[in-house]
Amino acid sequence: MPFGRLPRVPSLQRLIQAWPWWLLLLALVGVRLSKGAVLTDAYALLSRPFWPGTAQREWLQSAQQLDQRSRLAQLEQDNRRLRTLLGLQRANPQEVTAAVISREPEGWWKQLVLGAGELQGIRLGDAVVGPGGLVGRVASVTPTTARVALLTDSSSRVGVWVGRTQSMGLLTGVNGSRPELRFLVKDPQVRPGDVVVTSPASTLVPPGMSVGVIQSVDDKAVPAPTAVVQLSAPVEAIDWVQVLVQPRQAAP
Amino acid sequence: MVGKLHRHPWYVASALLVPWLTLASPTLLRLSGAPPSWSVLWLLPWAISDGPVSGALAGLGLGLLLDALTLDGATQIPALVLLGWWWGRLGRKGPPIERSFSLGLLALIGTFLLGLTLILQRLGLPPQLPLAGSLRTLLTQTLLTGLLAPMICSLLLLLWRQQNAPSRG
Repeated sequence: MPFGRLPRVPSLQRLIQAWPWWLLLLALVGVRLSKGAVLTDAYALLSRPFWPGTAQREWLQSAQQLDQRSRLAQLEQDNRRLRTLLGLQRANPQEVTAAVISREPEGWWKQLVLGAGELQGIRLGDAVVGPGGLVGRVASVTPTTARVALLTDSSSRVGVWVGRTQSMGLLTGVNGSRPELRFLVKDPQVRPGDVVVTSPASTLVPPGMSVGVIQSVDDKAVPAPTAVVQLSAPVEAIDWVQVLVQPRQAAP
Repeated sequence: MVGKLHRHPWYVASALLVPWLTLASPTLLRLSGAPPSWSVLWLLPWAISDGPVSGALAGLGLGLLLDALTLDGATQIPALVLLGWWWGRLGRKGPPIERSFSLGLLALIGTFLLGLTLILQRLGLPPQLPLAGSLRTLLTQTLLTGLLAPMICSLLLLLWRQQNAPSRG
């Protein structure tokens, strides 16, 4: 076909004869609109024999028990008292353990696919934690899988807190391997090595949860300083995570 | 204009390998954490073998599947449709494309353009993001896909050309 000539418009009869292809196109649009409900569920079903073993799961559970034992009682008490004063609700989330069945920590979309979904009670926005701290939040759910937007994804925004200087900031994914922490004040007085945790006032993710460590600080950033944060949860190596499922409020 | 490949259900079904490999994301085939563009590695030989219309439609189908598997924010459909059309035209004009270097170069350009459309779409969406992370993904994925294309695309092209051969002779 020479350049500049458009292909001939097929006749109505040919279009009707091509009905299987229209059906296929319709099915693909259906898959697209359902955010891969059939596709990821099929993948989860077929890849089930290759899911990670239980060793790391047990290790995860023992690490969490240790973490819980080592929590400072005074801090917990203070936290409760302050949250009561602030009038913030804190429901106790249930934990759903899920296998990581697909991961893309360094691609265009920084995401994980988990082998648990709506049937296990997971909903949009639920926080996902692994050994080391917060990993991300659930961005879409199918009956048997859930897709997690990692803290490094460009869509991720989480309020965080630097305990040493008591400064608040917004942890923003910038599509690199480390997220950026944007402070809300001009002089946050932070330095490399400071520990970053989720904001004590957060209602989206559990407050006071480990996020990472400040790696470098840019004091000259405008309008406020920024910092690069090294995340504490090794996403490339985690095979099991826990989804903190918030209790649903009963319909009135 | 249109080849015969799309008449073979098994060859059409081979497109499902693209979302499968995207989800499985084998660690051995990653460069600095970034996977190759499986859609480009499948679409390039398909479009060259089956023509521009089939290539564009295959690009549309793959785009719909891959958009379903990723977080919202940017779509791969326009780039894959245009690449399928372009490669289909290349396959219909001039001597047949079969040299490893040509396939590698076409895959390299295709992956770069695909990544560029994703970056451009993201630049248009608030909030504005620093480019550094996206450029790193773009370069590593382009390089890796360009390196894998001579091996994978050559094999697929050989297989699919054999199916289209009788009609040419």
